[in-house]
Amino acid sequence: MSVIQMDELITKGLDRSVELMAVAANNSFRFKDRNNVKIISVSGEDLEQIAEYCFSLGDMSPLAARDGRHLIQLMKEPCSLMIIGEKRKSDFNYNCGACGYKTCAELNKAEKVESLTANGPSCQFKNINLNIAANAAASMAHKMGLHCRVFSTLAFSAMALEVIEDVDLCISISVSAGKKNPYFDRHEFWTKEHWDEIFNKEFPTYNRGFIGAVEE
Amino acid sequence: MERSMKQYERDRKESARLASRLILASGTTTPRVGGVGECTIHIIEDECDIEDLCQEMEKMARIKKSWNFFKREAQMLRDADAVLVTTSLRSLTDPADINCNMCGKIVCEYLKEEEKLPDDPDVAFKGPLCTFRANNIAYAVDGMVNQARTLGIDYGVYWSAGAAAMRMKIVPRDTGFALAVAISVTEKSPFRDIPLRYDEFNQRTMKDRMINRLWPQFRSIYS
Repeated sequence: MSVIQMDELITKGLDRSVELMAVAANNSFRFKDRNNVKIISVSGEDLEQIAEYCFSLGDMSPLAARDGRHLIQLMKEPCSLMIIGEKRKSDFNYNCGACGYKTCAELNKAEKVESLTANGPSCQFKNINLNIAANAAASMAHKMGLHCRVFSTLAFSAMALEVIEDVDLCISISVSAGKKNPYFDRHEFWTKEHWDEIFNKEFPTYNRGFIGAVEE
Repeated sequence: MERSMKQYERDRKESARLASRLILASGTTTPRVGGVGECTIHIIEDECDIEDLCQEMEKMARIKKSWNFFKREAQMLRDADAVLVTTSLRSLTDPADINCNMCGKIVCEYLKEEEKLPDDPDVAFKGPLCTFRANNIAYAVDGMVNQARTLGIDYGVYWSAGAAAMRMKIVPRDTGFALAVAISVTEKSPFRDIPLRYDEFNQRTMKDRMINRLWPQFRSIYS
C-alpha cells in the first residue's frame, strides 16, 4: 500500500479541478452557439507579476491594489488563476442596440478604442457569453469545494501584461485550496485606525448629529 | 382522463412552480461585480402571461429581418412552464465608475455624456449600456441554468423574451438589459430538437390542421 502525502494530494487535486473547470466553462451555454472563448490557467511565478502590476495601480484604483496585495497572500497556499478571454466584435447579427449602435455592422465598423483594461466598443452578447463561461467555471469550483472568487482586476492586469493574448475582453476566476476561505472577510489588510480614517473621509455625514452640525 | 393521470398533470405543474422558485434563488445569489446588487428576477408562470409575452415577441419579429427568429422562439416559449426574466437595473442609469473601457468610451464620464439610442421600434436595448454592469446578467443566467441542470429540469435561454418583457413594461422601470430563462418539466424538452420553421410546424398547428380540420371532414364523409 502506498501512502500519498497531503500536500501532493491537494496540489494534484487542485490541478485536476482547474482542468475540470475549464471543461465546464468550455461546455457552458452560449448565445447562438458562438463558442470563441479563450481559456488559460496561470499559477506559480506568473501570478507574481500580475500581483505586482495590480498593486502598482494603487493610486488609480484602490480596488486593484487590494486585489494585488491579496494575491500575494493567496500565493502562499495552493492556488490557481483561470483567465477567460473573448474578442469584442459581434458575429451574432442580433442588431439589439445594447452596445449603443443600432446594428452589429455599425459596431464592427466603429473605431477600436484600446486601453489597459479592455478594448471597446464591445458586443454585449460577447460579454454575456464570456461571463457565462466564467460563472460555469466558478460553479464547478464551488461544487468541488474549492474556495473561489471572480476577479475582473486580475484579468485586466493579465491582459495588460499580455499573459493572455489576442483577446479584447477578459475575466478571471481565482481558486484556492487554502486552509480557510481566503477571499472574504479580509480584515487583516486594514488596521482599525486606517479603516476609521477612510470611513470618515468617505462617509463624513455618518457620525454627525444632524445635517449641518459639523464639529471642528 | 383517468384520475391518476389528472393527478400527475397537476403535480407536474406544481413541480415546475416550485422549481422556478429554487432557480430564482440560485440566480439571485450568483456573484455581482463590485458586490453591488442590481439584478432582479421575475417569474412569469401564468399561461396567459406567457402567451402575452409570446404575442409581443411575435410582434417584434415583424420589425426587422434579423429578429425573424423571435417567432420561432415564441412558439417554443408557449410550451414552457415558467419564464424567468432577469434584468440589469444599473447598466442604463448608473455606470460602474471603474473606467474599464468595455463600452469603448474610455472613462465612465464620457459614457454618461453619450446620447442613448432613441426609443425606436427597431431598438431592443437603448445602449450604450454600462457593459461591466450588464455582465452581471450573465452570472444570474448561468446561476439559473446551473440550478436547472442540478434539479434535472429542461431550460432554454432567450434574449428575445427579455427584450419583449422590457417592451411590455412588466420589468422595473430602470431596466437596461434583460434576458430570459424558460423552464419546462415535460418528458421531451420543448427547447431542443426544434425544426427550423417551428413557427409553422409545431404541435399546435399540426393539431389544428390534422385533428381540428382534416379529421372532422373525414369523419363527416366516411361515417
